[in-house]
Amino acid sequence: MQNAQSVALQLEKVRDKLPLLYERDDILLTMIQQRGDVERVSSRNMRLPLQIRPGGKAGLANMDGGDLGRGSGTVYDVAQVSPVFFRHAVEITKLVEYASNAPEKAVENAAKREVKNAMAQFRAFLDKLVQTNGNGVLGSIASIGASTFTMTKPPGAMLVYYNQTIQVYDPTLTTNRGSCNVTAVDPFGSTITVDAVPGGTTANDVIVHDGLTGAQPVSLFGILYHQSNATTGTWLNLNRATYPVELATPRVNGNNSALTPGAVRLAINKVRKALGSNQVSKLIAYTSLEQEHQWEQLGVTISQIIKEGAGGRASDLDLLFTGEKSMAGVPIKSSINANQSRVDFLDLSHWGRAVMQDIDFYDVGGQTVFPIYGASGGLASAYIFYFVTGFQVWNESPRSGAFIDNLAIPAGY
Amino acid sequence: MPPRTYLSLIEVTRETHETPAAVEERVSRAGGTNRYGEPQFRVVWGGARLAWIGGRWTDRDASGNMIREAVELRRVPKYLPMDRWHVERWMPPESYGSPDEWQAQTTEVEDGIRIAALGPYPSRGDYEHCFTLESSAGEFIPLTAAASDWIVRAVEWARRQPRSNLRGAVAACEARRVRDWDRDVDAVLDEEFAGAE
Repeated sequence: MQNAQSVALQLEKVRDKLPLLYERDDILLTMIQQRGDVERVSSRNMRLPLQIRPGGKAGLANMDGGDLGRGSGTVYDVAQVSPVFFRHAVEITKLVEYASNAPEKAVENAAKREVKNAMAQFRAFLDKLVQTNGNGVLGSIASIGASTFTMTKPPGAMLVYYNQTIQVYDPTLTTNRGSCNVTAVDPFGSTITVDAVPGGTTANDVIVHDGLTGAQPVSLFGILYHQSNATTGTWLNLNRATYPVELATPRVNGNNSALTPGAVRLAINKVRKALGSNQVSKLIAYTSLEQEHQWEQLGVTISQIIKEGAGGRASDLDLLFTGEKSMAGVPIKSSINANQSRVDFLDLSHWGRAVMQDIDFYDVGGQTVFPIYGASGGLASAYIFYFVTGFQVWNESPRSGAFIDNLAIPAGY
Repeated sequence: MPPRTYLSLIEVTRETHETPAAVEERVSRAGGTNRYGEPQFRVVWGGARLAWIGGRWTDRDASGNMIREAVELRRVPKYLPMDRWHVERWMPPESYGSPDEWQAQTTEVEDGIRIAALGPYPSRGDYEHCFTLESSAGEFIPLTAAASDWIVRAVEWARRQPRSNLRGAVAACEARRVRDWDRDVDAVLDEEFAGAE
């Protein structure tokens, strides 16, 4: 038996475990649930009927022969989503495999290690996309020095990873200047270095992920897409200008100042006012480590330091409270991928994923591992397998959340 | 004639409780006092801790249908859930920015009416949510002597911690998340690959 075949068998054995490795609610992407009340989508658009405006006309009535007037009906419209596909390609060379295919040679075999690493990397990639505004933009170039881009913060270089293939577009997302590979990432310095700068690249250009083509590309609809107070453009195929209030998520402008308790209360209260004063129990405060740290610096909360530092007595304190960090009573979920200058208050019960293809190996007639060919046309001493998934993220109630943006990023980040 | 019941006519809209004086005193002693001689920490009942919220209110019925809209200031419970004890910590006025910044940030205009979305500037500081007294499953915990002990211990612990520990705690939490994922994946894959080799 060829070794590649044995690897194929190993991958096949682990196949049904892929969803288990993927669907853990430790990143935003997987906190957004696949919704059981939504049928698996086909290649046609999934339709989300929305009750956008109330109907009926109430008022004083003159019952002494007065005119009772006409009525009106509820305004409905339909938001639409169609899944987009993503892939993650993993290559293993024979040398790596030979060096690790027995316990006496290496602690882990190559196939296991690559499945684990690839799954972590693919999850991270998709989680980075769910921070964006639906066009695949991972960052904006502030300046260029040789083959190094200094990126505008936020998000800086946080959404890019080493060895990723990226593309450079002009700021209007019309002209694709070409692609390149990332050879170094410095998230603290907000720089990325590439192997070859595409011709025509200038400051203010944007970088997008691999695979996007044409003008105004469409990728995963992320937080910046759904949590926006824009009144122009489209949202899930609806014209924002048609429903400027109903589709706008309440916003608090941080004005480049540090996060304060007042700004947090303002944002939460906007949701309470829009939905009713007791309807915020499902909110989470989704933010970056930077803003989480800023909140801790304010010294309001003490649960985190108890949780991390109380040693053997911490379990006693768990009985007292959930141990969850909170922001004005709203649980905090932080992420290294989250926008560094925002706090997003999300009611994830209104969010969902329209899934056409669950995560799986790419399969052709039962084959999941494919040979690589060398420049001569002969086989290369390596093989390749892919993870694929097809889905889109939707939100049926943009007013159920709120966000604070333009917050100052604490020193040291 | 069937008996008539009047119980359903009574609806409790908001339950309120006073914090027992003994608990107040113990927590105050554990947490110390602020520049005004008031306690740094205090325990409040959710339904009794009210705050001003101003702006356009949309009232809805139980099904979520809109009943009315009004632009006004309302005094409503500051924290949810209302049926829990919450521990608050005093925040100095400067943590809310200057009065001018407060006014600029919290004044909303609705239908041409300027309204203070958070009420007046907290010139003597204000108490903010620290944590909610509930079990790890989110269940109600009464304010017993034992719970009071726990609160006091938490408050005393918090007082001893230098601010420099905070950043480490945030980083440790992130590292733990990565470690947990790694461990869980190993647990799944080890079994599968052990059988496959």
